[in-house]
Amino acid sequence: MISVAEPWVEAPLKRFVDDARVTFALLIYPSGQVLGQSGFSRAVEVMSAAALAAGIYATVRELGRTLDGKGFRDVFHAGAKRRLYLAEAFTPRGPCLLLTVFDEQSSLGLVQLYFEELRTALAQTKVQVPDAAPMLDENFEVELNRNLAMLFGRAPGRRHITPTS
Amino acid sequence: MSLVNYASREITCKIVYYGPGRSGKTTNLHYVYGQVPEERKGKMVSLATQTDRTLFFDFLPLDLGTISGFTTRLQLYTVPGQVYYQATRKLVLQGADGVVFVADSQSRQLDENIESFQDLHANLGNQGMDPRTVPLVLQYNKQDLPRDMIMSVDELDEALNFRGVPRFAADALHGIGVFETLRGIAELVLKRLASPAEAGSR
Repeated sequence: MISVAEPWVEAPLKRFVDDARVTFALLIYPSGQVLGQSGFSRAVEVMSAAALAAGIYATVRELGRTLDGKGFRDVFHAGAKRRLYLAEAFTPRGPCLLLTVFDEQSSLGLVQLYFEELRTALAQTKVQVPDAAPMLDENFEVELNRNLAMLFGRAPGRRHITPTS
Repeated sequence: MSLVNYASREITCKIVYYGPGRSGKTTNLHYVYGQVPEERKGKMVSLATQTDRTLFFDFLPLDLGTISGFTTRLQLYTVPGQVYYQATRKLVLQGADGVVFVADSQSRQLDENIESFQDLHANLGNQGMDPRTVPLVLQYNKQDLPRDMIMSVDELDEALNFRGVPRFAADALHGIGVFETLRGIAELVLKRLASPAEAGSR
């Protein structure tokens, strides 16, 4: 199941997941904001994985600069059963990172092959500009205060909140 | 810039807790983590040293629920406060939608507070963000300590709050002021999505 924050990511990400046969795929901005994902079940888990992936990539890039004079372009880690691949791509909105996890159903070579296709597709994609109208109501503070109070157990009716992840 | 998914009506905002070492940034997140029900939060990620000093960052994802029909989520980060982790602070600050500056109210920490605040402004500027317009709130932590050890809210205002941003007295260890601080920064960040000027800049 693919979910995306930006619609232009959906088709290339789905094609990558299908072709490369990966278990998880997470496309993020280097700041850790999520562009799209496949394989995760909870939104909060996606955000944690994104924050860690952004941290890993930033660290490895700086390590590459220190040791080699230039940043490493990708990272591969082989676990006991699963393997992880993290690499940089470019979109009209700026650089992004792909974190993907795969098992014996795929291979590093296959993942790298289809990642190159994904890179090309993302670089060539047309980004839709969203409507510039304000999104939140003028009195959004009322809902914000109510939700935060419930989150912290400071208001009656906490049990009525519906999880949104 | 807040990430907005118009199709599924979701908003994700990145909030960074900044401040000098041992001012209580991680303590803020720990308190929030302890208060929020399981189904509304993710795991708290802490990349810390063996002595629990933040090495890279702490991270806590929160589900705020629905606001104006948008599912709204907050990503709370802390930066390492020690002076020598400058590069890490820059990385974590990337793409921040709002900043909570956690100051240590102890009088002897005044220089560290000022240095860290200047460091924040420099790092925001280096990333092309205007420090004068980035949503910012101040938290004056450790106000529970004896009066003779700490600076008052007015004194800290004089030293740090020259922009007149919202500020909150706190004792983060016991949760005092933590909720109010988070509400303050969330309000400032989301206000940008409700104003025509910000909407037009997206």
